[in-house]
Amino acid sequence: MNQALTVYRDDGQFAVALAKLGRHVPVPSAVFAVLGALLVLVPALLAGEDADESAAGAAVIWGMLIGGLATGRAETGSFRWLVPPAIRLTEYAGLLWLGAVAGGSGVPAAFALICALAFRHYDLVYRLRHRGVTPPAWVDNIGLGWDGRLFVGVLLLEFGALPAGFFILAGIFAAVFVTESVAGWTGTVRSQETAVYEEEEDEGQ
Amino acid sequence: MTTGVTPPRAQTPAPPRPPAPAPAAVTTAILLATAPGEDGDAAATLRWDASETVIGRLAAQVASVGAASVHVITRPEWVASVERALGRRAAAPGLAGDPASTLAGGGAPAVAVEASPDPSGDLRAIARIARDSGGGLLIAQGEVLTQREALAGLAADPRVSTGILATVGRVGRPFQQRTRSARGRVVSAASPYHGVTKPTTTFLGVLKVAEADRETLIASAERLAAITADGLPEGWDDEIQRKMGIWRAVLARAAWRQEMDRESPLEHDVDDDNDTPELELPEDPSEIVLSDEDEAEIARRGKVVPNDVAAMLVVALVRSGAQVGVSHLRKLFWARPITPAGIERARLDIQEYDEDKVLLDSSVKAADGFFTTFFVSPYSKYIARWAARRGLTPNQVTTISVLIGFAAAAAFATGERWGLITGAVLLQIAFTTDCVDGQLARYTRQFSKLGAWLDSVFDRTKEYAVFAGLAIGYSATQAGDVWVLAGAALTLQTVRHQMDFSFGAARQQVIGETKYPPIEQPSDRLGAGVAPKPAREVTADAGPEAVDPPRPVSLPRRVLGLWRRLDRMPGLIWVKRMVAFPIGERFAVISITAALWDAETTFAVLLAWGGVAATYTFAGRFLRSVAR
Repeated sequence: MNQALTVYRDDGQFAVALAKLGRHVPVPSAVFAVLGALLVLVPALLAGEDADESAAGAAVIWGMLIGGLATGRAETGSFRWLVPPAIRLTEYAGLLWLGAVAGGSGVPAAFALICALAFRHYDLVYRLRHRGVTPPAWVDNIGLGWDGRLFVGVLLLEFGALPAGFFILAGIFAAVFVTESVAGWTGTVRSQETAVYEEEEDEGQ
Repeated sequence: MTTGVTPPRAQTPAPPRPPAPAPAAVTTAILLATAPGEDGDAAATLRWDASETVIGRLAAQVASVGAASVHVITRPEWVASVERALGRRAAAPGLAGDPASTLAGGGAPAVAVEASPDPSGDLRAIARIARDSGGGLLIAQGEVLTQREALAGLAADPRVSTGILATVGRVGRPFQQRTRSARGRVVSAASPYHGVTKPTTTFLGVLKVAEADRETLIASAERLAAITADGLPEGWDDEIQRKMGIWRAVLARAAWRQEMDRESPLEHDVDDDNDTPELELPEDPSEIVLSDEDEAEIARRGKVVPNDVAAMLVVALVRSGAQVGVSHLRKLFWARPITPAGIERARLDIQEYDEDKVLLDSSVKAADGFFTTFFVSPYSKYIARWAARRGLTPNQVTTISVLIGFAAAAAFATGERWGLITGAVLLQIAFTTDCVDGQLARYTRQFSKLGAWLDSVFDRTKEYAVFAGLAIGYSATQAGDVWVLAGAALTLQTVRHQMDFSFGAARQQVIGETKYPPIEQPSDRLGAGVAPKPAREVTADAGPEAVDPPRPVSLPRRVLGLWRRLDRMPGLIWVKRMVAFPIGERFAVISITAALWDAETTFAVLLAWGGVAATYTFAGRFLRSVAR
């Protein structure tokens, strides 16, 4: 029922498939999401850029699989607000680590990719808030979802296609996300519902 | 159903439409001149000054914020005097120098006076007027004496579609009805016959109902009219008695406090702190001894309050699940005098309010960070006023800001000392400009959805462009590179924002799922039945209507309570806000560290402070989630 948190997650096909599994496990989704983030974050911090390519890839895939169990379903529970940030952490930290392991200009490439993705993730929030809409399905499909992007990132690393692969992805994503978002404003969709304004940096009383 | 959450993915192609100026959100106003004054005439017919009466002034004000037709509902015996009072007003109030006067609908409004014998009749009349008119409605207590800006803020703000004029301050207490709001939405409201638990705001007698909620309003008004037509439902009279008991206690405390102040002026200026000694009051409010003046005031207000159908409609709207927003009075003047003496006091008070200054001051965002509040807003508001006079739009200012931000990023990208210093200065200019756009929008009320989106997106763009610029500059001039740090800072900041968004969305969801008790029930608790609480549960007048039944307080709740109480310590609220590392602080850190040291230091500080902030906010939210 709560579309907002579901939209923020930016799930792809893997997550949707994994959710079918996750639904049967009586554990709150926040637990999976945080566990997934830790599976990527901890080895990334410990091993850093010296990590073995396949080990890093495996850790990222594990993080994605565990985190994926948290997604693809409607959020409930007191800690549901933890899921989207934990997923973001898994994704960005994972991509950054893959870039670092690849060496060369892998990290700047990951930085560029994350910038393009950050645009999308802020845009998801803001367009929902200000216009009450979500991007069309074709944009979601091109975006691959956070899970799809991590999977592609691991593949690119294993096949030695980094950092070029990240730069190309960053270019494609930036072009698609920004163009589509701006185009959305020219053919303004009039939402029937009120935009809900929240303070961004609400540190909570 | 929460709003702001989406409907289907399909985007209906609509013809391109410029976002501003929006048509007047309010086309019809209903003024309730039903409160009796001292002399047995309607209180709203009291003279405000040589040219205007209170009701005439209000009618002109609501017309100037867009109401093309104004209906005044009054008692049959007052129709003649109300018509006289309306006819006496001058053609139109001077709006010179008002930055928003372009938004005001010009021309004299059509004013119709209608007679209604009682509150039930008022409600039927409101339902009928709502049915016969199109567009948004403004419903106001006819005795409201305020500045036009307060009404314009409610009427013209597109962020509040249906909403009330309210205050978190002491204005209007104790006689106006209280409400509880969360995330800018009223979640519970009081009326003469309905109580509210843990109130946070006070309803100032003006309600705006959007076109979309008109059916809900009509249904609410008819329902209320039906249940109040032949006597009151069970428990309703007890609630009004309870409220009058609270007034007695509040006035007794106020008088006592005044007495204490006279004896030792310096000790008691702390407002409502539980630590200050409190007056012991008899359990039965009728035993409270009051001065003759206070007794007379309570007697007068007691006759006014049963006519408060505006508050009853707020309760009915909230309880039918309508999203009722809050437009704050800010520091504008508001009063609801019902006697000539009250008018006199208001006339003296209003002179101290400079409308433009208040408007400018309140264009500053209420809960900004320390750096923004003390180092930017004090002068950026004057830039905002200058920009308003030059006719700049908020979107133009936003665009200028992002261009300066890109220039800052480019300067940082040189990596040279001069570049870092230039970048630092440019970034501060960009940040100031960024504050100006929001203040300009609030000052001139040019809110647009596109503007809000541009502002949010460009803020982030600026910040992350500067990250990239700093990292590029470092690689260009130093041996190593700081891309990992830059990427980590970027990740940390987006994750922090994502947590803010998600926490907000989860709270919205909880509010949206709230079930409301039926309108027949005086208490706002689900399943509480009809019995109101006895008046003796009144504690400090900080929350007269709000006492939870005693229940074991969990540890997280206790920690949170303690944490909130810390806010009362002077200065500590700023420390808390600084710890959360808001945008002003982040930009200040970037400028200072980059200008004095290098990008590596900048990212190290951003990560350290951001890490502390993330831990701090996470801990707070974790506790709140456990405490729920």
